[in-house]
Amino acid sequence: MPLLFSLQETIEHGPKHAEVMALNWLPAATSLVVFLVAFGFLYVKVWPKIIQGLDERDRKIRQEIQAAEDARRQAGEALAQYQESLANARKEAGQMITRAKAVATSAAKELKTRNEAELAEMKQRATREIENAKRAAIAELHAETATLATAIAGKILKREISAADQQRLIDESLGELAGAESG
Amino acid sequence: MIFLASDNPTDHATDKILFETGAGTPLLTMHMVTIVIVAVLFVGVMMKVAAAIATGPETEGNDRYLTKGRLSQLIETMIVYLRREMLVPVLGEEHTRRYLPFLMTVFFFILFNNLFGLIPILDILHLVRGRETPVGGTATANIMVTGALALVSFVMIELHGLREQGIRGWLMHNFGGLIPGPIYLLPVALLVFVVELAGHLIKPMALAIRLFANMMAGHTLMAVLVGFGATAAKGGMGTLGIAGISLVSGVAAVLVAFLELFVAFLQAFIFMFLTAVFMSLLSQHDEAQDHEETNAGSRPIPEPAGG
Repeated sequence: MPLLFSLQETIEHGPKHAEVMALNWLPAATSLVVFLVAFGFLYVKVWPKIIQGLDERDRKIRQEIQAAEDARRQAGEALAQYQESLANARKEAGQMITRAKAVATSAAKELKTRNEAELAEMKQRATREIENAKRAAIAELHAETATLATAIAGKILKREISAADQQRLIDESLGELAGAESG
Repeated sequence: MIFLASDNPTDHATDKILFETGAGTPLLTMHMVTIVIVAVLFVGVMMKVAAAIATGPETEGNDRYLTKGRLSQLIETMIVYLRREMLVPVLGEEHTRRYLPFLMTVFFFILFNNLFGLIPILDILHLVRGRETPVGGTATANIMVTGALALVSFVMIELHGLREQGIRGWLMHNFGGLIPGPIYLLPVALLVFVVELAGHLIKPMALAIRLFANMMAGHTLMAVLVGFGATAAKGGMGTLGIAGISLVSGVAAVLVAFLELFVAFLQAFIFMFLTAVFMSLLSQHDEAQDHEETNAGSRPIPEPAGG
């Protein structure tokens, strides 16, 4: 009954104030029990999940950072290899250009030499052909001259000369002409 | 605000007796109800947070590592910060892992109680019903509640000390390393033992009193500020004067409420952190070196063992 009276009084007039430093053991015991029950529950059901979740994320972040660092190192190595290859390619290209220039120069020189030789040969051949033509022309001129001279001489001498005489006179004239040329 | 003010400003922070025996022995108080409500809320929130922090199924891809929800992210941030920046440097990686559930439970339990106390449930119900109600208040502004929490810390600190040092090591530590030693030092050793034991008890008592005093003082200060208007009215001041005083004191009370918000976090942190520091002081260590440092008047926080 006193409890019911206390409840009734609280409902009707509001609760009574405790002292600031009142040593009421019930709140202490309640706190202790409530805290321990809460801690026990959290220790079994909640904290393992939270700690595992945080650890897994931590591990994942570390793995990702490690992977990123590895990838960066590999990219650096690949870049170095690429730059080295590029430098080698440039060097080889330079050498090839130098070689090509040398080959071209050599080919040009050879071509020039060959052309000059061919030109000289052509010149010699042309000179020889001209010389031959000249000789033939001179010989023909001599023959015509002799024929004409013989004809003229025949007319002068009023006599007919035979073909054999004519040929002999030509040969003699040519012989004299050749002797005169060589002399 | 004036209406809510009471003659005694501490009334807003003190416990209220809901049931008592005929002899006047309290059976149920407001703080008992409050602490149960807060504990239920605390456990519920932490379960939600755990579900949000836990790694999700692989079908979610990398998103399975993300914490869902702002409250969960906020609590996770606090846990990560306290663990890495505060506890690991003091306790070391291994002890932090072992005691993290306890220390975090202490921190958040106190924090939830402190924050719950900032919600003016009591005053709103008072305003609605016209008289005081049995729900609300700050349980951590009760010395018996903080004392119970300090008792838990004390037990954990001593269990840690015994686990780390063994009974012999614990006794040697508390005899200041004087036993075994010359017989003529026995009185000194006994004196040191008494002082050390007193230190073991004083540390949790200091934890309890610090938390209680801070929470009580903050709420009392707010009640005093709010009560200025009522005092002015009771003193027969004019309406304009009462309004002016109420306005100024009300603004000041709002500012103090923000300070109280900070204090709620700070005191929860201090209680948890000092518990960790006291634990670290009882970790296995070089006895002679420790007492040399103690005699020299300095007892530094141990160097971090890892992390």
